[in-house]
Parts: sequence; C-alpha cells; structure tokens
Amino acid sequence: MKKRLTIALFVGIPLIPLLTFWFIPMIVSVWLSSTDWDYISPDFSYVMLDNYKQVLTSSDFHQALWNTVFFGFWTVLPTVALGLGLALIVRKQMVGQTFFKGLLFTPWITPMVAVSIVWSWIYEPTIGLFNQILGFLHLPQPQWLTDPEYAMWAIIIVTIWKNAGWAMLFYLDALSKIPDELYQVGDLEGANAWHRLRHITLPLISPTTLFLVVLSAIDSIQAYDQIQVMTQGGPAGSTRTLLYLYYQLAFEQFNMGEATAVATLIVLLTALLAFILFFVSKRWVHY
Amino acid sequence: MKQFVLKSMPRTIIVMLLSVVMIFPLIWMLLSALKTADEIFAIPLTWLPAIPQWDNFANALKLAPFGLYIWNSIFTAIIIVFFQVLFAAMLAYALTQFTFKGKKLLFQSILLTYMLPAAATYVPSYVIISKMGLLDSLAGIIISNSISVFAIFILRQAFMQIPTELLDAARSDGASDFVILTKIMMPMSKSTIFTVVLISFVQMYNNYLWPSLIVKSEENFLITVGLNRFFTTQGTFAEQWPLIMAANVMTVAPLLLLFLILQKWFMKGISDNGLKG
Repeated sequence: MKKRLTIALFVGIPLIPLLTFWFIPMIVSVWLSSTDWDYISPDFSYVMLDNYKQVLTSSDFHQALWNTVFFGFWTVLPTVALGLGLALIVRKQMVGQTFFKGLLFTPWITPMVAVSIVWSWIYEPTIGLFNQILGFLHLPQPQWLTDPEYAMWAIIIVTIWKNAGWAMLFYLDALSKIPDELYQVGDLEGANAWHRLRHITLPLISPTTLFLVVLSAIDSIQAYDQIQVMTQGGPAGSTRTLLYLYYQLAFEQFNMGEATAVATLIVLLTALLAFILFFVSKRWVHY
Repeated sequence: MKQFVLKSMPRTIIVMLLSVVMIFPLIWMLLSALKTADEIFAIPLTWLPAIPQWDNFANALKLAPFGLYIWNSIFTAIIIVFFQVLFAAMLAYALTQFTFKGKKLLFQSILLTYMLPAAATYVPSYVIISKMGLLDSLAGIIISNSISVFAIFILRQAFMQIPTELLDAARSDGASDFVILTKIMMPMSKSTIFTVVLISFVQMYNNYLWPSLIVKSEENFLITVGLNRFFTTQGTFAEQWPLIMAANVMTVAPLLLLFLILQKWFMKGISDNGLKG
C-alpha cells in the first residue's frame, strides 16, 4: 500500500506539468487545426480539413517550406563540416589548447538575440564590418538584410557561426576514442593524410556525424530568434520559415486554425526527417 | 618541450587565427560599446575607440532597466532549473526503479516529445497560461518550463548506470525510496546533474520566443525580451548604436563569466552526455 502511494507521488507530481504543457497541448493543437477559432471570440466552428487546404495551397506556405529546407540544408552541412574541421585542427597537442577550444565554443553560450543584434550591425551595408572587409578585398558588397537574394544567407552565416563550436566538441570526443594503432597500421601501408581521413577517421566517427546531422536538422526547423531580430521574415518573405509563418499566423494574425495546421505540418516534417535519416543511417553509418 | 612548441607552431598560429575570427563578433561588440557615435559611423573603419566611452553603459541603463531584466532572467532560470531537476529525478527514478501500469507508454510518450518541436505546443499552452491567470507574470514562464523532457531522458540514462546491488543493499537496510533517490542516486549522478543544471540555465537565460509571448509589462521582461525591445525602439536612431552595443555587452556578460569559471564542466558535460543545443 505504501509502495503504491510512493509510486503515485513519484509519477503523479511530475506528470502534472508534463501533461499540462506537453502532452495535452500537442493533442489540442491538432484538434484546433480543424476549427476556425480566432482566439478572441469564444465561438468557433469545425471546418475539418479546410485549414490544411488553405495552408497547403497558399504561396506563403510554399515559400516558407522551401525556405525551411534551404535554411536547413545550408546550416546543417556547413555546421557539421566546420565542426569536424575545427576538431581535426584543435585536437593535437599544442600550447593553449584548452583556451582555444573554449574560444571556439564561446558563440554557442551567448544568447542568440544579443549576437543577432551584433551581427545585424556587422551586416550594415555601408559602414558594417562585413562589407568594409569585402570592399577591401574588392568583392561585391550586398545589402545583406534588405536584399531578398542575400537575407537568408545572412541568417545562415550567423547560425553556422553560433553552432560550429558545439559540433566541434562532439567530434573532439569521437576523435579521441579512435585507437592510435589504426593510424599506425595505415602509416605502414603508406596511407597519406587524405586516405587516413577518408578510410579510417570518417567511417569511425560516422555515428557522431549522424547524431549531429539529426540534432542540427531538428534544431534548424525551430530557428526563430535570429530571424525575429534581423529580418522579421522579410524582405518579401525571403527569410520566413515554417516556424516563423506559424508564429505570424498564431500571434500576429490570431488565425489559430491555420496556425495549428502549420504546427501539425511542422511536426510531420520533423517526423519524416527523423525517419529518412534513420533509414539512410543504416546504409552508411558504421557502428 | 621547446622542440614540441616549435613543431606545433604553424598549427598553433592557424588555430589562433580561427579562434580570433570566431570570437571577433564579440570583440567587435565590446569595441563598439566603447566608441562614440561618430567613431562607430566613421569611414574608413576605426578599430579602437580614441577614449573608451564607459558612459555608454550608464546611459543605456538610464534608458532601460537592464539590471532588472538580467535579474528577472537569472531568477526565473534558477527556479526553473530547480524544478526541472527535481521533477526529472522523480520521474527518472520511477522509470528505472518501479514497475507500474502504463510505464512503457509513458516513456514512449516522453521519447516522442523529445523529438518534436516545442513550438507545436505554444498555442494551447498560451491559452492554458491565460486561463490560469498567469499571462504577463514570471510565474507563467516558470510553471510552463518546469518540466524538461530532455532532463528526464538524461537522468534516466544516468540512473540506469547505477549498480542494482547497491540499491538492493540499501533497500534491505530499510532505506525508503526518497532516501535512495536523494542520498544514493542523485549524489552518484552529480556530474550529470550539474551538466543538466548548467545547460538548462544557459538555455533558459537565452530563451526568447516563448517568454516574449507571455510577458507584456516592462517589470516582467526577461533580458532577451528587454534587449530586443531596446533594439527595436532605439535601433532607428543612429546615435544610439553605441548604447545598444553596451546593452548587448551587459546581456552577454553574465553567461561569459559563468563560462569562464566553469569552462571544463560545460565542454566535458556536453560531449559526454550528448546534450542537445
């Protein structure tokens, strides 16, 4: 009897916030997507799949979906590649190694809101640091945040900058677990640096690569702060991702039905992505 | 030693350059915070302020109560982290030590939630917070963040590492579940718990979207919300840019200080526990 009470307490108390702010909202969100609720009025009616039809046929959604995929692809791959590059350089013994690792990791600690403000200053077209440097190198100086061609790239650069050090940490850990003997065998067989990387290092760290790709991809779908600070989804919707579209529909237009429909689609997209990556991983990840 | 230093010299220089490039936006922020408005807009670029303008910090504080915002953020983050660890420890204990109906379903639901974007819950959660009368309050932010699926997940993994013989011995000595959790399991997992505490604290301090929906009045602003408000209201005035940068420095400073002191814990904990960003 006492045992049952203990179990009820240990499970029951944490279950209250878990149900209230996770499980129930997830279900309610799907339910709301079948209504035309506008948040202000207490009345609503069921419209079944109309919200989905509306959303899936709107050009805003198509643009946001494309932007999300584009942003995801161009942040995930460079973040992971840069993380590996940094790890490969920093891992060998050198003076001040810990200090440099710390510096490379620092961007991850800082609030995205604060660094996005700094970056929007760096991106300033005429006097910003970035264009000053580009001008010095006689390269084109785009209107970063106000040109639909470049605004998404500006957001992507900030995101890669902030997360590369984080990916580096995981690779440092993975690299330190590769036994030296493997490299010695490679040396005996006359492998050069590229062969060592291609045939020894990359296969052995592939589980870490998969892990980083999955987490960064899921993370990229949830990017919001840098977009809100630097572009608010503009110019001309060129940086509006699905999550940002969801935010605008829900909390700027109070179109809760369409907003929750977008939320459901974001969840489906995440699930699809996880599924694909899991499937792909069976083919090329070596455990 | 000398030979070793010489041999690693080229690589050290490359790493040094890379580190400077990575950290440069933060250096630029600090330099800009100390410049006059004329210097910040000068062409060609001026790298260093002629006379460091420490007044920029005082002037920024005159325009908005950043001290209060930072305090609000630190205060809510500490309470949130406390509850996240407490609840996660209880659930992780239940999931590893008890057998009960629906345990598998509960764990699978938690696992599923871990993968899904939190934003999908925002509309209903917003309604729930407003029904509770907690809109525009720090309590609303604290309550809605009091459970972390991720903390449950990591603590469960840590608890599973603890040898069962040890727990059985304690039980046969008559130790209650509460004692086993607080006197054996939590102390044995303290490095994991400490990592969760650090990462959760940083995430809560940096959190923006959800708090920006909840709080409306200035006295409840978290630092991220207050800073972005300051940016959007002052950013249109060119001469205010040094003050915006000063506000940025104040925002980032507490975290950089924390990182400086606990660097080893952050970096080791993250790669050991596979912590999500």
